[in-house]
Amino acid sequence: MTLDTIALILLGGVVLGALYALMATGLALVWTTLGIFNFAHGTFIALGAYIAWQIASTDAFGAGFVVGSLVSVIGMFLIGTAVYYLLIKPFERSPDIVVKSVITTLAGATILENLINIAWGPRNKQLGAVLTGDIQIIGLVISRNEAAAVAVSLLILAALGIFLQRAPLGRAMRAVAQNREAAQLMGIDVVRLYAVAFGLSAALAAIAGILIGSIRFMNPLMGSDPLMKALIVVIFGGIARFTGPIYAAFIVGLLEAFMTYAVGLYWSPTVLFVIMIVVLVAKPEGLFGKHRKSV
Amino acid sequence: MTQPLLLDVRGLDGGYEPLQIFRKIDLQLAQGGAVGLFGPNGHGKTTFLRTLSGIIDPWDGNIFFEGVQLNRPGPRGSRRWRNFNYDAVTRRRMDAKAVARAGLIHVPQGNLLFPDMTVAETLSIAPYASSGRASASERLDYVFHLFPRVKERRTSKIRFLSGGERQMVAIGVGLMAAPKLLILDEPTLGLSPKLRGELSEAILTIRQSGVPLIVVDQDIAFLESLIDVLYLFDHGRISRRIEKADMPTHEEIMKLMFGEDHQ
Ligand SMILES: Nc1ncnc2c1ncn2[C@@H]1O[C@H](COP(=O)(O)OP(=O)(O)OP(=O)(O)O)[C@@H](O)[C@H]1O
Ligand SMILES: [Mg+2]
Repeated sequence: MTLDTIALILLGGVVLGALYALMATGLALVWTTLGIFNFAHGTFIALGAYIAWQIASTDAFGAGFVVGSLVSVIGMFLIGTAVYYLLIKPFERSPDIVVKSVITTLAGATILENLINIAWGPRNKQLGAVLTGDIQIIGLVISRNEAAAVAVSLLILAALGIFLQRAPLGRAMRAVAQNREAAQLMGIDVVRLYAVAFGLSAALAAIAGILIGSIRFMNPLMGSDPLMKALIVVIFGGIARFTGPIYAAFIVGLLEAFMTYAVGLYWSPTVLFVIMIVVLVAKPEGLFGKHRKSV
Repeated sequence: MTQPLLLDVRGLDGGYEPLQIFRKIDLQLAQGGAVGLFGPNGHGKTTFLRTLSGIIDPWDGNIFFEGVQLNRPGPRGSRRWRNFNYDAVTRRRMDAKAVARAGLIHVPQGNLLFPDMTVAETLSIAPYASSGRASASERLDYVFHLFPRVKERRTSKIRFLSGGERQMVAIGVGLMAAPKLLILDEPTLGLSPKLRGELSEAILTIRQSGVPLIVVDQDIAFLESLIDVLYLFDHGRISRRIEKADMPTHEEIMKLMFGEDHQ
């Protein structure tokens, strides 16, 4: 392994990590506020990418990448809130909302996937690189497009972190997550907050989809593998803190890049899952989770 | 024109479907007044208060707050619909958020608040309920003045607080919301005698500053120092309404509630 190969692997890992961090944070946002796991998140990624393609691509409306991305992110926010009202809200006070939402979000994922298939067909598409050319950072050659994708991911994550910590709406979101009833008694509109959390999560999925579509390619199933990785990341990192899944995302991204090099594309998911199980057995709250038993 | 009552509860029925917990509750509270609820464990006081604040829907009856009806008027949906998913097919009859924003603030029994938020963050959420009735920084000064302990612990997470400290924060949160009526459900439950004394005193100070109260407590002497009217709550009904002037002793109340031959 030469130094150059290592650098290449590292770069690939960082790009993967940034994407996983976006997706995992979206998942974790819904998981922490609503206490459910959204299986449609992967399909949100694909739908976000296709909406952006439809608006942006010269094969379709040709309005350009920026307009396409904006429409996609806002559109996915609205679709996310709609999915919440249709598939989650009816069970909001049911004690087995976790199980019911698994069924409804899986169903929602399948329906949306088929709609994408009908609308855009199963063949691969590309959003195309936004930036062309390479830049040099400490002697490494990086494609501008990938560097921008990483930078955008990090910026959005930072903004989200500040929003949750400082903004009244963000604080209210954390409060609802921790004690729904107490939050209600404090005048917080719980249903609206849940809808906003779901919408934000879908908007994050759209951004991830757009980035994937721009540095790789897209198809109706493009979200399912990232969804699984994001799930690993969320469990791996724990959700006690906002930053947990982000660190974990980069670890998983780098691990995956090295594994792909070391054992090949075929075996790397297996190795990843083995590592995840070992971590979970040793530390059930996740790598960065603190135990929550103390009162 | 006479001033409307602050709170006027008429023939309120409610419970946890299919189990009715309380029935035909009438409760009136004049502007500036304070009432106490007293009754044995498990007879539905908390359930009644949760209905007042809109956490659960009333089955029947009406709730007026400053002359404004808080519940959706009209009868509850027909029995047939109750077999279906309440949250999908039924419109809620009460809205907890709207109740809180109207100024009816409920400090629930054994409030756990938000375990992973700091005291200061928790207090900072309250302006949602006060909806412009008061300046947050003034309210905060008042809470810190009333509970110096809360000020000391403002950077701690709620889950690291003692039960008494958490109760102080819970009441502080209620005060931050600039209550027009503050409901305290067993505020001194499970505290040491010393803390109980401290908290009782703070509640008395709140009362003396003119905040109307509904207080549930098992300590008649404490209630007596606080309220104008005592309601005895018995098997989900109000069995008696007692003015402060004829407040009975603890023994007499026990007799009233459990009959002559109760030990
Ligand atoms: N979430 C719930 N679902 C169903 N039943 C409940 C629920 N919460 C309470 N109950 C029942 O309602 C009844 C009244 O309980 P409630 O807490 O209102 O009594 P309480 O008068 O406040 O008692 P305490 O003095 O112990 O606080 C009890 O029999 C209880 O079992
Ligand atoms: Mg009670």
